[in-house]
Order: sequence, then structure tokens, then C-alpha cells
Amino acid sequence: MKTNMELWNHCENPYPFVPAEVLDAAEAVRASLPSQYCDPEVAARLYDEVFEEYQLCDDIGLHIVTNEHHSGINNLWAASPVITGIVARLTKKVRILSLGTLITVRPDPVRVATEYATIDVVSRGRLDIGFVKSGATEMVSGDANPMRIREREWEAIDLIEKALTTHDGPFNWEGKFFSHAHVNVWPRPYQQPRPEFWAATSDMPTCAELGRRGIINTLLFGGYDRTRQAFETYKRARAEAGLSRPKEDRFSYMAFCFVGDTDEEAMRIGQKIPWFLTVSMKSAPQMSKFLPGQIAPEMAPAAWRGGASKRPTNLSVEALIAQGQMFAGNPDTVVKQIKEFRRRVGGVGRIIMMTRQGLVTHAEAMKSFNLAAREVLPQLQGLDPIEDDAVMTAAAR
Amino acid sequence: MTTMRAGDLDLEVLRRGLGAPILLLHGVNPVSPLAPFVDLLAEHGTVIAPSLPGFGASPRPPDFDTVYDLVNVCHDILDAIPDEKVTVVGFSFGGWIAAELAVAAPRKLDRLILVDPVGIKIGPRDQRDFAHFFNTAPDELNRRGWHDPSRRPDGVYALGWQATISDAMTDAEMITLARNWDSLCLYGWKPHMYNPRLADWLRRIAVPTLVLWGENDRVVPVDYGRAYAGLIPGARFETIAHAGHQPELEQPRAFVDRVVRFLTAEAPR
Repeated sequence: MKTNMELWNHCENPYPFVPAEVLDAAEAVRASLPSQYCDPEVAARLYDEVFEEYQLCDDIGLHIVTNEHHSGINNLWAASPVITGIVARLTKKVRILSLGTLITVRPDPVRVATEYATIDVVSRGRLDIGFVKSGATEMVSGDANPMRIREREWEAIDLIEKALTTHDGPFNWEGKFFSHAHVNVWPRPYQQPRPEFWAATSDMPTCAELGRRGIINTLLFGGYDRTRQAFETYKRARAEAGLSRPKEDRFSYMAFCFVGDTDEEAMRIGQKIPWFLTVSMKSAPQMSKFLPGQIAPEMAPAAWRGGASKRPTNLSVEALIAQGQMFAGNPDTVVKQIKEFRRRVGGVGRIIMMTRQGLVTHAEAMKSFNLAAREVLPQLQGLDPIEDDAVMTAAAR
Repeated sequence: MTTMRAGDLDLEVLRRGLGAPILLLHGVNPVSPLAPFVDLLAEHGTVIAPSLPGFGASPRPPDFDTVYDLVNVCHDILDAIPDEKVTVVGFSFGGWIAAELAVAAPRKLDRLILVDPVGIKIGPRDQRDFAHFFNTAPDELNRRGWHDPSRRPDGVYALGWQATISDAMTDAEMITLARNWDSLCLYGWKPHMYNPRLADWLRRIAVPTLVLWGENDRVVPVDYGRAYAGLIPGARFETIAHAGHQPELEQPRAFVDRVVRFLTAEAPR
């Protein structure tokens, strides 16, 4: 069977306009940076620009991703269902993925289900729902207990799923983390039985559970090895549970991406993207390595000892491309990079491009999207299956 | 360290001395055998300092996640002590547990000592009563938690401990600190380190009570302590000079003197 890959555009709508001296002096550029540094006029312009980019995507066949992060320079979306609802009305054709609202931070999953059901109806069935566990600073800005978030996330997913798929009157939920005596979501979703679920994780036990449930697994900047390992874990969990072999559309990967007329142009503009890593992730120790629940206690010595650092060391475009974390070049170069990535991870059906990131401008992003849709996407259709599928072969034995 | 059976849990416990039992409920980390106040106090009774579930080497049952669980474990601990009368001393987070325990008026509770406890809300809703344990920079907590941070006994870790870890520590020490920190967060993240209803029920405490405060505690201010004591009928409030959030660590002799004076005094009512 041939694979038709999809391209998705994910923009976090960053706000790279806070003076460097302010960022240098701040303990963190997320969670605790005062909002006096966010000019609402500038923010309004940024919203207009990115919504215009999303409308272009609708015209040219790139699907759309929104997400949310809070109280910082990396992301102005802040409430994914609000933004996704706007996009649902601004677009007509493409699919829209909310990846996602932070269900480990939100106190009422029934309300989340209601928001998503509404968006699904407004968009006439174009919504996909994504789940994320949330990063450390999000626990601080959302004042959510950072302990047990994996258990809390699964209970929220279970409740949201039941809320979206129950249509015969109120049901009761009395779980460990959530209780609701009268769950009855109106409107019911446009898609039956429910919109597609995605989850963003490279945590292997979670990947296995996604596999058993058939939820789309997306890796964020995982690179070749970790992504392959995650997808293999997913496939193996299905095989061990006696479930069908997953199609490539169950696997997704998000990378930085810039498509230019020439390799030189793409590399030059692509160099504006790693701002995301070098500037927008600055965090305080109490919100990162010392925040409870982030790592198993047994991992603490490795994380705490002198010199231990999770920060990437080489952030040049060349290094990011070599690590499989960025696709950049002229259209043919990007096609080659994506095909190579697909081969090395054992198959992936949906590529999420993070293009309008860091200091990349609106005009630059629009150009990249046009090239991606017109010259990259057609070359990713009708692809032969991946031959080298060691996991399934091993599982079959 | 030995273990004690409390209900259906085997808890790690530090025991020192002979005589009437003095049960210590620890703060952010279990009471350290290296803390000089332990031996000084053990000259006046049997010090029993269990590690609460999830701290030190004590197991935490999978569903334990509330102070309600810890308070009930403390009832089990009191039941497990053979003596008829037990003095309970609670430090910081453990002071909150001790106050909750005393509100329930267990039969064996003889006297109560709260040392820089948290656990109640008294100030305006848009102001913190005390520093956030998890969201405050470790350097800042360490600075505010001690009158003089250089007085920290070697190998003893108090609030802001992250600022004092070194590569010389063993992996086991680091793993224990990480586990303690996770457990504290599970029990105390939200509302941050208080029970919204406790202040109203402190009036139920019916045993002689001493509230002790480090005079220079800039994590949980002295005024909070004075208000806390004011809610407990007949409670004495005393401060210890040249001490911060952990007077027992910073001024061990003065701390033990105050405790002993209180324990040997005539019941105040």
C-alpha cells in the first residue's frame, strides 16, 4: 500500500520582542516574566499575521496545529480551544489539530470536552484533539501539582473520551482526580464516534499505551533514534496485545522547517528558528531540574551533578538537520530530508513543520508554506512502504 | 535508624534516649541523626522521629497523597507507642501535621510543641502568608531560612537544600532528597502548605501547647507564628534569637532548653 504523507503547520506565535537585557535579568522567560513586557498592540498584529498564515494553509492544503503555553515569550496562544475555535471559522478545508489544551492543568475535563465538541461542530468535523502532559513551567503558571501528571492525564483522556461519545443522557464520573455527577456534553461532536486523538510524547510507557489505544503518536524534535525507539515501542505494544499493525498515519513528527528557493536562503532564514531553544526556554532551577515529579528520584544525581545540562550544545542549522530536528533547504532538499527521516524511523505519515518560530517573519513564513505545499507535498505522495521494519518482523517471529 | 510498625506500614524511625516519649514530626526532610539537637533532647526523654510515608526510607502507599493520610498515619504512630502519654513536636510542614493531629485530640497526646509550623491561612487572599516552598529560587529560600546559613550542620538539609547540594554527596543522598521533595509536593502543593479550614479548628486543641519561632525566620514570618499561637487556647508563644526557620538546627541548645522548660513546667491550666 502506498503512503500519502501529510504536512501540518504548527506555529506557537512567539513574542520575540522583549529587550535582551530584560530576558538576561529574568530568572525565567516563561511562567514568571511580567506581562508589562507584552504590548497588546504587537500581540494583536501577531495574531492577525498567524491567522493569515493559517488561511493560506487552508487554501494550499497544509493542515493546521495550535497549542498553548503560558506566561512567556514563546507562545501567545495561551488557550488552544479559543484559538482553534477561531481557526475553525477562518478555514474551510484543512484539518485542525489542537495539540493541545493542557489537560493536566485544567481542573474540569468535561469543560474541555465541551469546548472541543463545539469546535468540531463549527468546523463541520475537521477537528483533531491532541493531548500533552505539559512542561515544568506550565505546572507553575497553571498552579497544578506536578506530581502524578501521567495518571492525571490518562484519567482526563478517559473522561473526555466518554464525554464525547456518550449520547444517551448524563453519566457519572467519580475518579481519583476528577468527579462530575452530571456529564452531558452539548453539542455532540460532528465526527462519529469522536474526533481523532493524538498525543505528543516520547515517554516509552506512554507510547506503548498510545499503541494499544491506537492514538496517533507525535514526537517533538525527538531526532532519529528516540523517534524510532518511540514508534517501535508503539508497534511492539500493539503486536504484543494482538492488535493490528499500525498504519503510517498513526505516527507523526514535529521538526523545525524552512523551505526556501535555494539551500542557501533556507539555511540563512532557518538560523532564526533556534531562538526557540537558545532564548525562549530559559527557566529557573526551581521550575526545571528541582521541580518535583519531573524525573524519577533515581535520575536525580545525573541531573543535579555539576556539569549536568539538558541544554543542547550545538544549535546550528547544520547540526539540527544532522540530528533530524530540522528540515531546511530548497524543496528537493527538504523532500530528501523528510524521506530519509521516514526511512530511518521506520515510517511516519504526518510531518508537523514548525516554521514561524523565533525571529522568522510573516513574509518569510508565507513563502516557506507556499513552497512546502506546491513543491514538497506533491513529492511525498504515493510513497512505497518502508522495507526495513525490524520491529514487526521481530514481533511476528 | 530502625523501623516501627504503624498501622500496616513499616516506617523508618530514629530513636535516641530513655524515658517519656517525645515524638518528632519532621519538616521538609526527615530528622537527621547528624542534627546536634537530637542527642541534647534525648537527655530528657525518648526521641522517636519517624520518617513519614514517602520520606527517607519509609514507603508511600500508591494512593497516599493528602495530609489527611499523614494525619491518620500519625494516629497509627501514637497507637504504636506503648506509653500512655506522648509529647508531640512538629517542625515546619510537620508542625502542620502535628496541629491537625492535636485538633483531633488523640487520647495519648500530652503536650504539643509547634516549631515554625505552616498549615493555616490568615492573611489577605492576594498575599502569601509565607514563601512558596516550590516556586521560590533555592538560593533565596536558603538565605531566608537561616539566620546565618553557615550554621547549617554538615550533612543536614533544610528548606532551600537545593542550594547546598554538592558533588561530594552520594547518589543515595541525592535520591532520598529527590524522593522527599516529590512527596512533600504531593501532599502540599495546593493549597500551598495549608488547610483552609484548620485555623477555625485550632480552638479544639486542648493540651498545653508551646509555639516556638526562629526570631529571624524569613520563610514563615514571626507574625504568622504569633497569630497561629493566638488561635490555640492557652498556647505560649516564644521566639529563639539568632535562628531562622529551623531553630532546632541553628540554635540546638536554646531550642532544647525551651522545650525542656516547657515540659517540666506545671501545666498552665
